[in-house]
Amino acid sequence: MKRRAVVALRLVAVMLALSIASPSEAAVGKYKRTIEEYAVPDVVLVNQDGAKVRLKELVQSDNVVIVEFIFGTCTTICPVLSAGFTNLQQKLSPDTRRVRLVSITIDPENDSPKVLKEYLGRYHAKPGWDFLTGSRSDIDKVMRAFSAYVPNKMQHFPLTLIRLPGDGRWVRIYGLMSTSEFMDECRKAGVK
Amino acid sequence: MNLQPPIPVRHALVYAMCACMVMLASTLWAGPSSGGGPEGQSAGPGKAELAQFGERMYREGILPSGAPMQALIKGDITVDGTAFTCVSCHLRSGLGSSEGGIVTPPTNGDKLFHPVKAYYKGFEIISSVPRRPAYTDRTLADVIQGGVDPTGREIDEVMPRYHMDDTSMAILIDYLRGLSSGPTPWHTDNTLSFATVISEGVKPEDRDAMLAPLEAYIKLKNDQAAIYESDGKQARMAEAMVRSRETPYLRLSLAKWVLKGPPETWRGQLDEYSRKGPVLALLGGMVVGDWRPVHEFCEENRIPCVFPVTDFPVISDTDWYTLYISKGYYQEGESAARYLGGLDGRQVDGKVLQIVGASRTGRALSEGFEKTWDGMGNKKPVTIKLKEGETLTAKALGRLMEKERPSILVLWTGPESLPALDAVAAGKNRPEAAVVSYGALGKDLWSLKEDVRDFTYITYPYRLPQDEARLRFYIPGVGVPSLKGDCNNIMKRAYSVTTVLTATLMDMRGNYYRDNFLDLTGMMMDVEAPLYVRLSFGPGQRYAVKGCYIVQLTKGPSPSLVKMGDWVIH
Repeated sequence: MKRRAVVALRLVAVMLALSIASPSEAAVGKYKRTIEEYAVPDVVLVNQDGAKVRLKELVQSDNVVIVEFIFGTCTTICPVLSAGFTNLQQKLSPDTRRVRLVSITIDPENDSPKVLKEYLGRYHAKPGWDFLTGSRSDIDKVMRAFSAYVPNKMQHFPLTLIRLPGDGRWVRIYGLMSTSEFMDECRKAGVK
Repeated sequence: MNLQPPIPVRHALVYAMCACMVMLASTLWAGPSSGGGPEGQSAGPGKAELAQFGERMYREGILPSGAPMQALIKGDITVDGTAFTCVSCHLRSGLGSSEGGIVTPPTNGDKLFHPVKAYYKGFEIISSVPRRPAYTDRTLADVIQGGVDPTGREIDEVMPRYHMDDTSMAILIDYLRGLSSGPTPWHTDNTLSFATVISEGVKPEDRDAMLAPLEAYIKLKNDQAAIYESDGKQARMAEAMVRSRETPYLRLSLAKWVLKGPPETWRGQLDEYSRKGPVLALLGGMVVGDWRPVHEFCEENRIPCVFPVTDFPVISDTDWYTLYISKGYYQEGESAARYLGGLDGRQVDGKVLQIVGASRTGRALSEGFEKTWDGMGNKKPVTIKLKEGETLTAKALGRLMEKERPSILVLWTGPESLPALDAVAAGKNRPEAAVVSYGALGKDLWSLKEDVRDFTYITYPYRLPQDEARLRFYIPGVGVPSLKGDCNNIMKRAYSVTTVLTATLMDMRGNYYRDNFLDLTGMMMDVEAPLYVRLSFGPGQRYAVKGCYIVQLTKGPSPSLVKMGDWVIH
């Protein structure tokens, strides 16, 4: 009886340990790609310059639009996503506005326009890349609209959303991409 | 004062290697592009300077030459090390992070130079970091540069591959060797020592309200440890749950560091307390007067301090060691500016007249308001600072209103100026809106006259009273706080210290380094707390509650507060 309890306890412990992702488990492997339709909420957010931005208008573009959810003091995921944006802009240079890059904070309490601006500065952001913040309820609405809602910023996940200018549908990419994979996706979306 | 303990004998070999590395680095040193010693001297940098270079590489991604480190991620994304620093993932302590399902392994000296085992001997825990032998300087350089660990396994592509010369690599490795690797004298006999700072003159009822949740928490934790020591079955369950063989048995102690005499003498007293009984962190704390001397003591000695009870925290974007619940009165002023000129707020076309009482409260409110208002690119408000002992009379305010004709009147004054506001409400120069502070008015807020209520906006930094009453928070070991007035708030604020402790201690797992304590706080989940809808940190964030409500009083003899919108953060 006692032995059985010990075995059960060990099993629970092993399962608990396995439930915590290892570095290799979490990040290695192909990303997941799907095509989705999203109803973008009509909310007014604030960009890195403190200017009000109507999100719906921002993403209604003839150019490719790419959205990511990050936050200013994030470790691990956001730097990788943002480094991807930096490299994409390098490749688009000098006409960086050909692709509209939109980073949206999931930590609006902390991410003031000043924090957003400093963050973009760290990643050498050029024109065409905006970082948006807003009220908690509006940010929640945006996350929910893109099936990206996390109640807590520390639980967020790597997500890249690419809007196809032709029909307004979105390519949803779950996971982290290399630059070449990211560029491939952009080309598929119509970026030349 | 440096609290770094002496090097233990068992680390002698490691430190001997460290010394060799520093000598090697010094020999190879070509010198930075600027600085690096007096002009004309050819000697290389000393040990302290090399440590600074290492710290700069780790924290800022800047090479000793002053150039940014170059890194490659995901195989082909080239980035400056300044955008992708070591500290951004491995954190200041080097003990790594866990976010969004990605676990970043430790890179501190204590872990790097010891093997990682698949299982911990005699215990059913699987390491969340892949098994590997201890790193050597060579294999560590290989993994930093090429991404291949000592087993020949290629590590995840998320970890950048950093390109640098041998000298820079030696400096970085030397820094990592010393990172979170020394003894922790605040952890003895599996007891973790904390202290709370209280100055003479703090009211006994306030002091007791602050201490009650802390002492109850420590008693509960220590009683629990005693149970686990005597009940093997429960203990094993607890070990498995927290994935640690020692956390369930960890005991806590809380010393009271009582400060006597004038604030100029506090620093010496704090140094002495710390020398005699080093602590992992300071918890809560209350002083009569300015908290700044304690803040500076913590900053200089790198001692974490969690939620001192003060409405006048030190406002800083860069200070590291003190965690405040909020920015206090400053934050109320900040939120008023955001409301008036921000996202959901009103558009102010006319003039803003700001009247500032001659008190710390008035000054803090005004500082927060002005800095934020200016930062938003608004025209400077007309500011009238009252003199010491001066009360804003109806006559004086009437004259100012006649002269300035503001559309917004901001009153950072106490209840003594409410009659003047009443007179303005009845006068011909009534503004479009008036702003007052709950912090400055206190319970006199409820005496605002009906005529004033519909154009007066109040900054309110807590959950609204009607919502707070519904929640009935229970403090373990204490019960539902039911003290009067300020004491109730003090107790609730002190209780939040224990929320941070619970989240942090669970994950320390034997790594009782002060920077690790703060790193783990930065990774804690957002939580609901007494008084506040959301306590929220994030790596490097130092004020848990951001923003404030803007409210108005309803009409009638028993008014209540109504929100004018969301919790104002922008």
